[in-house]
Amino acid sequence: MNPISNSSRRDFLWNAGGGLGGIALASLLGKEALLAANTVPSPTGGILYAPDRPARAKRVVQLFMGGAASHIDLFDFKPALIKYHGKESDFGEHVEAFQNGLGPWMRPVWDFKAYGQCGKPLSEVVSALGNVVDDIAFVHNVVGKTGVHSQATYLQATGFQLPGFPGMGAWVSYGLGSMNDNLPTFVVLPDHRGFASNGPKNWNSAFLPAQHQGTIIRPGTSNPIADIFPPKGYITPDSDRDGLRLLDQLNRRHEAEREGDSRLEARIRSYELAARMQLAAPEALDITKEPAYIKKMYGLDNEKSQWPTEINAPEEINHFGRKCLTARRLLERGVRFVQIWSGCDNGFPRRNWDSHEDIERDHGPLATGMAVGSAALIQDLKQRGMLDDTIVLWTTEFGRMPSSQGSKGRDHNPYVFTNWLSGGGIAGGVTCGESDQWGYKPLDRSNPTQVYDIHATILHLLGINHEHLTFRHNGIDRRLTDVHGHVIRGLLG
Amino acid sequence: MQSMTRLRRCLIWFLAFAAIHAVQAGELADLDWWSLKPLQRPVVPEVVGQDAARARTVVDRFILAKHREHGLALSPQADRRTLIRRVYFDLIGLPPSPDAVEAFVNDSADDAYSQLVEQLLDSEQYGERWARHWLDVVHYGDTHGYDKDKLRPNAWPYRDYVIRALNEDKPYHRFVREQLAGDVLWPDMRDGIEATGFIAAGPWDFIGHAEVPEEKYDGQVARHLDRDDMVATTMNAFCALTAQCAQCHDHKRDPVTMEDYYSLQAVFSALDRADRAYDLDPATAAKRRILTKQQQSLERRLQKNRDAIEAMKPPELVALEKEIAAIESESVMEVEGVARSDRYGYHSEVAGKQDVEKWVQVDFGESLVPEQVVLAAADEYGFADFGFPHRFRMEVSDDPEFKVSDLIADETAEDYPRPGASLVSFEGSEARGRYLRVTATRLWSRRQKGQPESNDWIFALGELAVVSSGQLVPIKSVTALDSIEALPRWGKADLIDGVFGGYPLSARIGKEAGATAAALIEIASQSAEQRAEKLSALKAKRDGLFAASIDSDLLKAAGEMNAQLAPVKAALAALPAQARVFAGTVYNGDGAFKGRGHTGGKPRPIYVLARGDVRQPGKEVSAGAVPLIPGVSARFAVPKDHLEGERRVALADWIVHKDNPLTWRTIVNRVWMYHFGRGIVDTPNDFGRLGQLPTHPELLDWLAVEFRDGKQSIKDLHRLLLNSAVYQQSSVGNEHAESVDAGNQYLWRMNRRKLEAEAIRDSVLMVAGKLDMKMYGEGFQDFIIEKPEHSPHYQYHKHDPDDPLTHRRSIYRFLVRSQPQPFMDTLDCADPSLLVDKRNETLTALQALATLNNKFMVRMAEHFAARLQQDASSVEAQIARAYELTIARPASPEESAALVQYAKEYGLPSACRVILNLNEFAFVD
Repeated sequence: MNPISNSSRRDFLWNAGGGLGGIALASLLGKEALLAANTVPSPTGGILYAPDRPARAKRVVQLFMGGAASHIDLFDFKPALIKYHGKESDFGEHVEAFQNGLGPWMRPVWDFKAYGQCGKPLSEVVSALGNVVDDIAFVHNVVGKTGVHSQATYLQATGFQLPGFPGMGAWVSYGLGSMNDNLPTFVVLPDHRGFASNGPKNWNSAFLPAQHQGTIIRPGTSNPIADIFPPKGYITPDSDRDGLRLLDQLNRRHEAEREGDSRLEARIRSYELAARMQLAAPEALDITKEPAYIKKMYGLDNEKSQWPTEINAPEEINHFGRKCLTARRLLERGVRFVQIWSGCDNGFPRRNWDSHEDIERDHGPLATGMAVGSAALIQDLKQRGMLDDTIVLWTTEFGRMPSSQGSKGRDHNPYVFTNWLSGGGIAGGVTCGESDQWGYKPLDRSNPTQVYDIHATILHLLGINHEHLTFRHNGIDRRLTDVHGHVIRGLLG
Repeated sequence: MQSMTRLRRCLIWFLAFAAIHAVQAGELADLDWWSLKPLQRPVVPEVVGQDAARARTVVDRFILAKHREHGLALSPQADRRTLIRRVYFDLIGLPPSPDAVEAFVNDSADDAYSQLVEQLLDSEQYGERWARHWLDVVHYGDTHGYDKDKLRPNAWPYRDYVIRALNEDKPYHRFVREQLAGDVLWPDMRDGIEATGFIAAGPWDFIGHAEVPEEKYDGQVARHLDRDDMVATTMNAFCALTAQCAQCHDHKRDPVTMEDYYSLQAVFSALDRADRAYDLDPATAAKRRILTKQQQSLERRLQKNRDAIEAMKPPELVALEKEIAAIESESVMEVEGVARSDRYGYHSEVAGKQDVEKWVQVDFGESLVPEQVVLAAADEYGFADFGFPHRFRMEVSDDPEFKVSDLIADETAEDYPRPGASLVSFEGSEARGRYLRVTATRLWSRRQKGQPESNDWIFALGELAVVSSGQLVPIKSVTALDSIEALPRWGKADLIDGVFGGYPLSARIGKEAGATAAALIEIASQSAEQRAEKLSALKAKRDGLFAASIDSDLLKAAGEMNAQLAPVKAALAALPAQARVFAGTVYNGDGAFKGRGHTGGKPRPIYVLARGDVRQPGKEVSAGAVPLIPGVSARFAVPKDHLEGERRVALADWIVHKDNPLTWRTIVNRVWMYHFGRGIVDTPNDFGRLGQLPTHPELLDWLAVEFRDGKQSIKDLHRLLLNSAVYQQSSVGNEHAESVDAGNQYLWRMNRRKLEAEAIRDSVLMVAGKLDMKMYGEGFQDFIIEKPEHSPHYQYHKHDPDDPLTHRRSIYRFLVRSQPQPFMDTLDCADPSLLVDKRNETLTALQALATLNNKFMVRMAEHFAARLQQDASSVEAQIARAYELTIARPASPEESAALVQYAKEYGLPSACRVILNLNEFAFVD
């Protein structure tokens, strides 16, 4: 018995139709999944060939805080830390700190207050999320595996703590395919100041075909997608248009003499798709025509060409808000997965969440920007009826310690941290999984939440059984959830 | 009857399904699998009639036999233009020149084609092309990957080794042995050392090793993952065995137990990834080895002598020596009861050379006469004088640019004594100025055992204070040539923050008073002069005691040994400087990243980890492999007190063992795949039950035996395959064959090749007349690095495509792991984070955009046009030439007319841009 591999199945698809442009094009767009459903139910092939269950959601937005955002200063209220602030920290066991952050207990930097009908306490610095807290489910008992940035970022982004695995968006693109024919399926909006740990490897397609890779979009720049327009010089719109026409003509002549290779047709079509993307992308990214009240909602009523050199809230609001608004426009136009990053590398001056020295200084502006932008996104999706089938996931590398580092900072805490989700079938106004009284480890240490569970739940809402979405690579049927993961029932609305 | 058929069909389905799932968890798979069966030379099929006329090599006879089984036939022989383009790209990755095409087309010799193959195999570009295939498999890269993704500046000697090894056609067993244990087997040969870059080729978690010690779980996880990469790379590359699947449980499908897997980890357990010094010249290496041995032996004897002297010392002498050492070292300053400040001082950017000038200057706001200038070094990383320059000068001026200035201190002629934690003070002259500048002329670098640790040279200063008219001068601002601003720890502002070497001045003098001129002068003079006086008194006393208490014979012996040692050391120092390669090696480090040097290279103990969890170690394992070779124990028979390298030699021996069923099949299948576009087994890294079955098992075995029992020459293998009729057939389809075998697994035609990213880039450079064929050496960087001190930002968009340094072949490209080069990445270039046995091949809109609009392509189209304009005068002739250069054929009259018209309207560069986007350019028939 010859197991049918992905590659032979792909060959089958390429060749079954004898140069069927339709098939080639579908593959180009990442619509393989849909096609496969009607063609070959493969016993071992990785792609989803029939939905496992009716999908609640179609789209995902992942908000990723690079450097590790503090759960206890933003979302996970710990009154004990206020009570014992400044007292020597005692965890009741030996703690392996990443640096030396086992100073006295340190209270949350901001006050907490209850919001919404659910009465969820939120930190003052993310109070903007108070408006939408009834649409959010919090998971406060997420555990990581390591306090090393790189591995932790990989784990949350790809489900594995080492390089070489596809990002979550790539898996979703691979499983569900595209919903548009002029934009990428999986878009990444990186922090404009630089990449987080691991850079583009976090959204790489790895062993999955390249069309599932996250495409970087840099809104507001002259080339928002790499090479979408020619550089200034000898190429004019006319020469470009007529050149493409000539290219098409020459390629078709070449193809006519070479029957039976659908790749030739696929490459011809790729130029047509590229031309459509050149039209679609600027339109999708142009936020100038958004009404004033929308811009205001996203905090974009405060445009400046120059910002202070010190990190500051208005600037962070502007940057993060712009990405959130761009995300909404892309989702409306059929992009399936958008990943938004906050925080670049882990260097200095800090434009990242790795606040070893001073939580207030870095987390303050970053969290304000994040909260304003993400609250606007949820609210905006809701008012357009899109929140019903769009999942918003907020995540980070790991949490930060309830004890202090130096006098104002916090060290890494991979032992517990927070994720929150909203929309797309997620229950609103709930908390699912608690941390202990300090926010040091899960309250119930034998039942923590892991990234696999979050991923399994999101796939479930997208109509995918996470155990069925596989791709064979170097002898293993790889899954986003490795060999783990269960759907968190409490999160389902 | 019908139901019987259905039942039978169900049964067949069931059996087939059961076969796949036969091996259940908890039950180890057996050796009853095609790739694990002993290699035997199969009978070569007979061919008759027309087939006999077509068959050129044994390969053809196996292929034709399969064709007969399936009612297929070879396609016609490809024409010469097609053939030459095919074989050029296949063997050297570049297009043939129009002259070469014409010569070959008109060559009437019978062996014109095989002569062409020979010529290409002899060319040095062959190694450059085929090394890329091997580098895919071993996931070679020039940065570490993971967090920060720092540069790996000495990875390239391994890349060069692979190119050379292929060009020299090293026997395969030697190629395997060198990469796993060349340092043990051929320690004096550069190949022996450079080849072990194989072990370190993959990604490395810098933070997990350099910043997290092995005592921590996070450190253990990082090292476990590191060994896992070494095991996976080795076993996939050489044996197509996915041993890494047995990390958390026994392999689900193939006969690899967890114990086998961890015994493979034990092979590498003494190693880390680090730079290793070596000699390019074997004679130098031998000399160094002998001299080092002499030095070690003398030093051991000296140590014994020192121990004897030590034993003889009276207690008061010991105490005295301690006191002197304490004063002399003053390595880190401690003030009891006062917290160390985290404000260190000013820190320049890092320079790549020591003798570069860097300056920092202060502005007093008004012109004055500095009577005294006091400098405090920065106290960091255990150095009390971190970054304090070896040579420097001080000037004052009223001009912030210092176009004219007065020198007040000149320490540029020789190295200034290391200040330690002492303040350094300089008397000012009469000179007056508003600005004072300290210029470092010889920079400092972190040291380890007296040697600079790296080539990172810096200038740092903890504090600068100036006394004028008996008062401490308030300083308005600090400027510098460059500065790393990482406040609170480092920054220009910290130069004048009142923190002197970790503590405020008041803490250092133990008085409540703050920084006053008097206090400053007091401590500055105190520390320097008093220290010197005290030391000389103590030393005199020590010398007296020493002479009185130590046996003179011992001293005499020491003197003799030192006299012998000196010329040995001098001879060592006189040897040519060593080269460095990033390799799998026993690392001799300190701090968090110790490596195993401190144990003399003893392997770390390796345990079977339950569920692959470092917190759940089980049984300790010895070094070994997998029990696949009949009659050969899977655990290596190494003596109890063996050196770590013997484990690697044993693994290499196991891999190249004649009866290893996997090794020989694996390599011939890889070579086959690169020629034909798909492997006989199309999962080249996995010959297990989850991989694919061979389409031509007998042919694979015949090739494997032929290769193993012959010279183990890869070039011979190329000759065998390329001279076959199956390779030389046309790639054009035909309806009948497609209906039988649409995927062309039986090779009734040649597979059309989509050019790889490297081949596209190199060809574009070549036809544009820009390709620089310089071989070997450091890779070129087609990006600008920003913010190198923490996480380097690799800025590809700032690179100038006209930079001639970057016009070399793509094999010499500096490969960044975290941020792959976007153009190459879009064209499906291999990802150095993955073990790439076969590249993905995609056709996407982003590829179309890249080849149309990437600034490299756009600019090269211009150069291409300029070159054509030099080669030919009429547009017609230019277009004709362009076709010959890119696709090795004349343009048809219609094609020519269309392109000429387009070129006349929009210019030749635009026409060249169209040509470089042709399907015919991107594919090879």
